[in-house]
Amino acid sequence: MGGCVSGDLKGGKQAIGGVHGRSTMNNDAGYNEAIDHFFRVRDQSPLFTPIELSLSASNLRNLDILSKSDPMAVLYVKKMDGTLEELGRTEVILNCLNPTWIEKINVSYQFEIVQNLVFHVYDVDTKYYNMSVKALKLNEQDFLGEATCVLSEIVTKRNQSLTLNLHGKNGPGGSKNFGTLTVHAEESCLSRMAVEMKLRCSQLGNKDMFSKSDPFLRISRLTESGKYVPICKTDVINNNLNPVWRPLYLSMQQFGSKDNPLLIECFNFNSNGNHVLIGQLHKSVSELEKLHKERSGANLVFPTHRGQEKVLKGQLFVDQFIGKEQFSFLDYISSGFELNFMVAVDFTASNGTPRNQDSLHYIDPSGRLNSYQKAIIEAGEVIQFYDSDRRFPAWGFGGRYGGTLSHCFNLNGTNAYEVEGVQGIMAAYANALHTVTLAGPTLFGPVINTAAQLASQATSNDITKYFVLLIITDGVLTDIEETMDALVRASDLPLSILIVGVGNADFKQMEVLDADDGCRLESSTGRVATRDIVQFVPMREVHSGQISAVQALLEELPDQFLTYNRSRNIKPLHS
Amino acid sequence: METKSRTLEITVLSAEDLRSDNKPVKKNAYVVVSVDPFNNKATKVDGEGGSYPSWNDKLVMEMPLQTRFVTLLVKCKGSRGEKTVGLARIPVMDFVGGYSPATCLQFLSYRLRDPKGLKNGIINVSLRVKEPLQDCSSQAAAAGGGNAATIGMGIPIDGRRDYGMVTGIPIWTGYPSNSLF
Repeated sequence: MGGCVSGDLKGGKQAIGGVHGRSTMNNDAGYNEAIDHFFRVRDQSPLFTPIELSLSASNLRNLDILSKSDPMAVLYVKKMDGTLEELGRTEVILNCLNPTWIEKINVSYQFEIVQNLVFHVYDVDTKYYNMSVKALKLNEQDFLGEATCVLSEIVTKRNQSLTLNLHGKNGPGGSKNFGTLTVHAEESCLSRMAVEMKLRCSQLGNKDMFSKSDPFLRISRLTESGKYVPICKTDVINNNLNPVWRPLYLSMQQFGSKDNPLLIECFNFNSNGNHVLIGQLHKSVSELEKLHKERSGANLVFPTHRGQEKVLKGQLFVDQFIGKEQFSFLDYISSGFELNFMVAVDFTASNGTPRNQDSLHYIDPSGRLNSYQKAIIEAGEVIQFYDSDRRFPAWGFGGRYGGTLSHCFNLNGTNAYEVEGVQGIMAAYANALHTVTLAGPTLFGPVINTAAQLASQATSNDITKYFVLLIITDGVLTDIEETMDALVRASDLPLSILIVGVGNADFKQMEVLDADDGCRLESSTGRVATRDIVQFVPMREVHSGQISAVQALLEELPDQFLTYNRSRNIKPLHS
Repeated sequence: METKSRTLEITVLSAEDLRSDNKPVKKNAYVVVSVDPFNNKATKVDGEGGSYPSWNDKLVMEMPLQTRFVTLLVKCKGSRGEKTVGLARIPVMDFVGGYSPATCLQFLSYRLRDPKGLKNGIINVSLRVKEPLQDCSSQAAAAGGGNAATIGMGIPIDGRRDYGMVTGIPIWTGYPSNSLF
């Protein structure tokens, strides 16, 4: 009863306020378009990818006199400060120099960072046979060998298996044969599960005095800490007490598990942001599927101040429920798809003369990296693992090369635009600083068009190539309209563009190009970007534990890659 | 024999944020595609998509070589007849002679303008020109010819349709007679 009184009072306030209680049409529409774009861009975005590693070894050293070794493997990740963090252990296999361990070790794959793995193999002493492997003290066991690799090296292999030579604690190069370790990576099939649902409500309570409600749904997931975290919301349906929302896509990573309780809240949209709760209910994905099969509705409830729930007349129905397994980013990569890295570096005069210590291009004799070098290294070291030939196009723009102003010149100075590896980019960059005169103005259009040309050749010849252009710039664009036109034309190609801003300029223009606010880029002729291919971040000092600027950029790449390939129904290659 | 036209396969996928008289379109939006003033075809009517309709309708049209624009006219049927919601023109140059060969499936989006010339939502299409002897790589072509049109950038609605190979020009009754603008 208290709830009713509060509701009436609220309604009364709305009536008194007049327009304040209702959304304006324009506000609604913008909100809907932003949500739509959010869903389009974030379609089934995984938060991380769980990977199971299976280990086996061959030709291990035999340390036992009267029997063979009893091997166990331990997996560590090497952290930024060089320390090793243990991720898991296998079981002990008795009397075997060629073990295939059964226990799998779970690792979270993160595309945006280089994940250095360290494997140690031990011979477990006989007297510890009956102990749990977790209780074993490793310094009391005999060390059999060590191997290191990057997680990306495993998942990019055609069969997702990598064989490594084991070596002693003093590192590779010794004459002794320590045997080999084979690591097989498998993505948990649960991580590929996704659900498409079409939700509908009927007979919602009306929260507007002079018109009908503008309802939308918000779905939240119960976390381990007992709090609800929103995972998605629907568009707003104007003036409708029996709304039908457009289909939602939820991935397993979003809702946790099919039986995890979800909180589904129905709100009346108000443009002032104070949305009024119409009703709510708790259902898991399994229960929603059951509602769909039985074609029945579930009543919304309204929480009261006394902790009880008032059952409302309004009901939620599931008109459509499709569970499906989607190909994941790693499915494409392990079947032979590649990411091809390209770099474009700003050589305009606003960076300052490279000889001066305050220049953004200053090469410190002590080896400390400038912002351009940091961005190249951080992005290149991640993406290089996804390119089989590791030959990267590298350009400069805004500089005078050979006396001629160029807005897209080859960084290595020759007719060939490609350099060898990340170190090749770094060397070409350092050399260019000696041969190029900084000039201006800052144009992005030419390098974007050149990159798009390369990407378009790929679509004709090889659907497995996806291009990533990193643009590093310090300044404000002169050709914002030409840049937007170029980006819109490129948006239908297998290309993503990462823009890193260095220095202290005002980067508002960059944030316009980065479509995170939901507005699709529009060219001067009225063509609209097919999808969002641009990400921008300003370079900033990374504090301990904080994600770096470049990592934040790279994190979006698998989604952009998947959006492109799924929209064209391009599938991973068959083995 | 000299060829004076080429075959255009255009799938009208979806539209976003359609308004009529400054209010969101409630239902019954459809699109008329023209390759010249005398050749046009219409999609089906989306009865439930409101201002965010999805059609995923594939239309096959003979496009004269001299055509410079493909015109998309979005209309809606209301209780008081049909209304023009917005117009978009696709320059043929955007998909012939652009980055990708015209025979590759391309996804394009355009800003609509209402009869007064004001911005009015976005329309999403996929299209390609059929030139049998110069097709794309087999998988991309198969993707284009097969199921890509049913997925595209639009959000699929109930009852997905299987677009197999084109076997003829679609024929429907109730063809709107006043679709010319």
